[in-house]
Amino acid sequence: MFSTIFTHELKYWFKKPAFYIYAAILFIISIFFSAASAGIFDSITVSVGGNKIVNSPMGIYGMFNGMSQLIFFLLPSIIGVTIFRDYKSEMHSILYSYPFTKASYLFAKFLSGLIIVTLLVFVIGLAVMIGFRLPGTNSEIVGAFNFGSYLHSYLVYIIPNLILFGAIVFAVVTFTRNIAAGFITVIALMFIQGLTQGLLSEEENRFLAGLIDPYGNASLQYYTRYWTLAEQNDLSLPFKGLIIYNRLLWLGVAGVVFGLVYKYFSFSQSAISLSFFKKEKGERVTKKNFGGITRVQLPKVNYNFSFVENLKAAWKLAKVDFKYIVKALPFIAIVLVGLILALITLSEVGNILGTKTLPVTWKTLQSATGAFVLPINLITFLYAGMLVHRGKMAKANHLVDVTPTPNWVLWLSKLIALLKVQLILLAVVMLSGVIYQTYKGFYNFEITHYMYELFVLQFLHFAIWALMALFIQTLVGNAYLGLFILLVLNIGLPLLTLAGVEQSIFKYNQGPSFRYSDMNGYGSSLRSYLIYKTYWLLGGLILLVFTSLFWVRGIPHSFKERLSIFKERFNVKTGGVIAVLLIGFLGIGGNLYYENNIKNKRTSRKEREEQRVQWEKDYKKYEGKAQPRIVAVNVDVNIFPKKLDFNASGTYKMINKTNEAIDSLFLDHNSYPSTFEFNKPVTLVHEDTIQNFDIYQLEKSLQPGDSLELNFTVKNKENTFFRKNSPVRYNGTFINNFQLFPRFGYQDGSELTDNKTRKKYGLPKNDLKPHPSDSTALGNTYISKDADWIDFEATVSTSEDQIAIAPGYLQKEWIKDGRRYFHYKMDSKILNFYAFNSAKYQVKKDKWNDVNLEIYYQKGHEYNLDRMMKGIKASLDYNSKNFSPYQHKQVRIIEFPKTGGSFAQSFPNTIPYSESVGFIAEVNKEDTGVDYPFAITVHELAHQWFAHQVIGADVLGATMMSESMSEYVSLKVLEHAEGKSEMRKFLKKALDGYLTQRTFERKREKPLMYNDGQGYIHYQKGSLVFYALSDYIGEEKLNNALKEYVEKVKFQNAPYTTSIEMVDKIREVTPDSLQYVIKDMFETITLYRNRITKVDSKKLDNGKYQVDIEFDVSKYRNDDKGKRFYGEKVGDTISYKTEKMKKPILSVPLADYIDIGIFGETEVDGKKKEKELYLKKHKITQIHNKISIIVDEKPIEVGVDPYNKLIDTQSDDNRRKL
Amino acid sequence: MRLVIENLTKTYKNGVKAIDNLNLEIGTGMFGLLGPNGAGKSSLMRTIATLQSPDGGSITFDGINVLKNPMEFRKTLGYLPQSFGVYPKMSAEDLLDYFATLKGISSKADRQKIIKEVLEITNLYEVRKKYVAGYSGGMKQRFGIAQLLLNNPKLIIVDEPTAGLDPAERRRFLNVLREVGTNSTVIFSTHIVEDVKELCNEMAILNGGRILKHTTPLESTKEIEGQIWTKSIDRDDLEKHEAEYNVLSSNYNEDNSLNIRVFSETQPSEDFIATKPQLDDVYFIALKQDEPVTA
Repeated sequence: MFSTIFTHELKYWFKKPAFYIYAAILFIISIFFSAASAGIFDSITVSVGGNKIVNSPMGIYGMFNGMSQLIFFLLPSIIGVTIFRDYKSEMHSILYSYPFTKASYLFAKFLSGLIIVTLLVFVIGLAVMIGFRLPGTNSEIVGAFNFGSYLHSYLVYIIPNLILFGAIVFAVVTFTRNIAAGFITVIALMFIQGLTQGLLSEEENRFLAGLIDPYGNASLQYYTRYWTLAEQNDLSLPFKGLIIYNRLLWLGVAGVVFGLVYKYFSFSQSAISLSFFKKEKGERVTKKNFGGITRVQLPKVNYNFSFVENLKAAWKLAKVDFKYIVKALPFIAIVLVGLILALITLSEVGNILGTKTLPVTWKTLQSATGAFVLPINLITFLYAGMLVHRGKMAKANHLVDVTPTPNWVLWLSKLIALLKVQLILLAVVMLSGVIYQTYKGFYNFEITHYMYELFVLQFLHFAIWALMALFIQTLVGNAYLGLFILLVLNIGLPLLTLAGVEQSIFKYNQGPSFRYSDMNGYGSSLRSYLIYKTYWLLGGLILLVFTSLFWVRGIPHSFKERLSIFKERFNVKTGGVIAVLLIGFLGIGGNLYYENNIKNKRTSRKEREEQRVQWEKDYKKYEGKAQPRIVAVNVDVNIFPKKLDFNASGTYKMINKTNEAIDSLFLDHNSYPSTFEFNKPVTLVHEDTIQNFDIYQLEKSLQPGDSLELNFTVKNKENTFFRKNSPVRYNGTFINNFQLFPRFGYQDGSELTDNKTRKKYGLPKNDLKPHPSDSTALGNTYISKDADWIDFEATVSTSEDQIAIAPGYLQKEWIKDGRRYFHYKMDSKILNFYAFNSAKYQVKKDKWNDVNLEIYYQKGHEYNLDRMMKGIKASLDYNSKNFSPYQHKQVRIIEFPKTGGSFAQSFPNTIPYSESVGFIAEVNKEDTGVDYPFAITVHELAHQWFAHQVIGADVLGATMMSESMSEYVSLKVLEHAEGKSEMRKFLKKALDGYLTQRTFERKREKPLMYNDGQGYIHYQKGSLVFYALSDYIGEEKLNNALKEYVEKVKFQNAPYTTSIEMVDKIREVTPDSLQYVIKDMFETITLYRNRITKVDSKKLDNGKYQVDIEFDVSKYRNDDKGKRFYGEKVGDTISYKTEKMKKPILSVPLADYIDIGIFGETEVDGKKKEKELYLKKHKITQIHNKISIIVDEKPIEVGVDPYNKLIDTQSDDNRRKL
Repeated sequence: MRLVIENLTKTYKNGVKAIDNLNLEIGTGMFGLLGPNGAGKSSLMRTIATLQSPDGGSITFDGINVLKNPMEFRKTLGYLPQSFGVYPKMSAEDLLDYFATLKGISSKADRQKIIKEVLEITNLYEVRKKYVAGYSGGMKQRFGIAQLLLNNPKLIIVDEPTAGLDPAERRRFLNVLREVGTNSTVIFSTHIVEDVKELCNEMAILNGGRILKHTTPLESTKEIEGQIWTKSIDRDDLEKHEAEYNVLSSNYNEDNSLNIRVFSETQPSEDFIATKPQLDDVYFIALKQDEPVTA
């Protein structure tokens, strides 16, 4: 019997067009993505390039597995339908009386469905294989064909996952006899999976996360998380330990699920039903019709088909459809699951360095909406189908279709029901936000903000999808196929960018999103959002007219018939409606196109890439040509917050500091309308209006020491209804000088960096920056190429209700013609790097010695001002005590909207500071988090020394002296303020951050002192290195060396300092035995692999404890692609191997000092706390080590490098409990 | 109030000619459409009910061009398909309210009034709060009638409504239908001759998409008065008789002999006894005459 049912099922699918449509869609999108990743669209969009091999085992896994996720949405309609079909066709009433066993029935059904989905996955695999190798892909990033990798992904991950999810869906559909329930289950499973992985992303939870991830992805990640580029390219995927446990666990779960189906399934006629709503209103019943015969005398009632009544009817009918959705168990389930999960998601709101953010409304909205976007879309897509086909599915369509209700009433009622469901779900978002805020005791409910964002802005977005959903589901006769098509559209449309379709006007329901900040509200993003949504709403309404024309009334028609019905229905009226909508649609679309393509030049990503090439080809030759240097800047900047305009004028005073005469001036400016005027006669000999690079010929050469003045004006192009042309915000403008003002000479910042792409364009390989040992390359700071230290003066004006700020000290403030003017002047030399801020600020003031401290903040953001003030003082203390005096008489922290970014940036005596990175942090001493408002403030203040006093030359490693140093100061200040034990939180995050982010490197990773400016090196690795260094040689010794260094180089002129100079200073104070540390940490990329292997303790007679520890220490080096080396030179590798080990442990020769720690327990205020019993550096010369240590108290835990000071690729085995 | 069908043709994608150049005129009263399974009854009814469009021909009712102006026609139409389902988890009352809305009754009071009435008529009032999906076959058919009455239709089409009903249910159903049919046109398709005999004042016999005979039950039996003969034969003699005579039907008696009915203008032979014509005879004569002659 098994084979009969089984083959029958397979035949059924092979005959079904839906199977081939699924296969075709999956085939096409898989080819699209794999080919896109392999660079097939390089000729029309940005080049892929890079050093990553796209079809490495890892790459194949990612692509294959990623595409297979789509299959999960097919499970209900394939595996679920195998059994559902029998219910639907009422075959089950016959079938279930036949003499076959439950086992053969269930297995045949399940396995046949499984085979079908497996075949579809096979199609994906095939498409991926082909996609990578399609002609036109970049052969340099495609490696040799590796069948094993496909097979590995298929067998270890995809098939077991399909079995698991298939079994769950099969069970749900079997017991509920409801395919929709199957879909909701898939959505819920994805929901839960994403959430648990999010919650368990902390390092200590990763083993657990790996075990319980039903996809198995987290178990793979457990081993491959820190794979470098070279390892990602070369290594095969591991299949061991956790991965095997994970796979077995989930196959087991699948078995149990299927077993439960087997146990509880019975060949019965009715489904297990759960009834949630029981309403029985009592009403007296009197029976009249006793006999068989009554006179039919229908009461007179009014039949009304007026437009208004029809509208009312649609509303009424919608209620019935609405109830059908929301009263069903699947919907209730998704709302409950969604609510719970949204609450859990919210509990992790804005976690930065382990510290959460206050649940301000925009933040809760962001998180809760984020969790609901996909579910709302999926429910829309699914239920659009369910509603459109509801009559057909219930076989009530003939009753409905012969009623005199016009088609539009029918589809309108479906649409209304759908929109109501969306509103309900959006209300759940709001509910979860408000519940969470209440729970946190945050009672500043901005209900109108919730309502406006959810029920107006978000709702528009979802409603436009509802229109598309109704159209597709009407066009496609099969609700599940319709769902799948919609899903592909929903995910795929934004990705068309990969194929060079970049403008949103060509992609349904795409467009700029709105962005909210407490300071600036929705700002100017609101208008563009609404313009695009209006545009797509019109587009959606056009689809709605087509929905009406294609609406099925009566017996399902062939497509040809439907077309002829379409033609019949298409009359003057519908034509008119379409015409009106189309005029609106094309009108807006046309205007957007005109604004973005014709009136303003639009550069596609491809063109931008080509421009960068052109820039280098045209102007690189002028690099290093002598130019006068800016020595003084005096600017007038007028900001118009209401009109979002600015205009500015200014003067650069320049001097020829070189010893040669200068005859040409290379003026690099932006595309804002500008004028330039020199105070010496010049001729414009070259004007480039695309790249904005002009060359002026000086009539008389500028002799060494001669000066020159440039007067310039700049303003924004007029803003139009469709386009804003300035960086000004209504409240919270933040503009720096590079955005507005001209520069001199060639800037290399926009050169292409990827060598493969460069080769394609005929550019030579580049080495990014010169090496610090290149003494000819030290003429510029890494901030500016046309200035050293400047005098600065600025007058900034803004509207009367705002405060405008620039570096310098306020000289005068006045109001004229309803505008407020501020005149600032700096009394000392600063870098040519300054910014302008304007907003309605509150000001908090304080003092540190003679220095005025001010925080300019948004009203309502008072939460952490004290912490920040404390941070300012602590940083001023530490830096001035350890390095050099503070150069200014004032410190100003200036809040700016989060829409401008989530960072803080140090300008001379001013620190613009995003509202999202400290102002709303929820620092809690009980938590494991870092007090980051304090830490970031300390870091930014430290930049007043490390960047604004000490500034590196524009060569490799320059950011070590600014960012790494500021990070070091921040850590040290934190340590002094909060104690050593607090440092572990920070170091752990830094270590994980470094190890994780380096895996995304696509070009190269250099050692710290030669870094290319990557954040993960100069922040994360930098902080680890300097912290460890201070531990090895002592904070005081290190700081003294640094102080000497600072004294020597601060405010220096060219040649500027380099990382070599700084490291040399450190080297001087480092004892010989620790010189290796300098090499490991600064000069090479060295990673440790330390672990405890065995530990024992016994109580001695004298009451002390002897602890015997066995541990391994090994280290290796990475080259700049992440390839491992275990020695300095050939043959010096040391190794260790026991009989049990398959492979030996290898290491670079060791003479290293490593912390060995033993910890006991002590009670503080009733809480158990760790107590350090022993901590000493031991000299280690071999990989495997055994030591015995005697401690006074009972030991609990033992560790090698227990505080994770070293860069260790597996930091969770450094400690072991006794 | 006449339904006029002219030259109606409908061929399905699989080549089956479900309606073949059909002409029919139906007046007020109960009209029985009699035909074997697959005769095209349902196709015809669905076409009249505007659920599918014919390839050619025209249908007019009471001056309304049904094919051109289906919406207007639907206002006067009550239709009960051969089989239908209902939305699950909805009571008769709620469902009828839904249909009443679809049928254009905008006032809530009106809807309540008429729903109460149709529930009374169909004897579903006590079970009005029960889910229709859980109704028995007969109740469900009565519900079908209830929903059909909501728009006080002038033309009622019921497609094989008595199939599968127990005798009591069938009786009740026919009674209701009869009541309903007194002041409107009811087209009633069935393959059960008995139904037509009991109910219809006019009838047509349909097969192969064509009208074989358009008559009234009374007239049609009168027409063949004296031409129906019966005889009791052995089972084994049936084939011989069939070859010799125009055998319309044959029924087993209790003793395993067969009773055959033969159509003939004159007494076929002496052992045949004249009998009173029945509507069945009319039906079988019509079908037989339509059979292609094989040589």
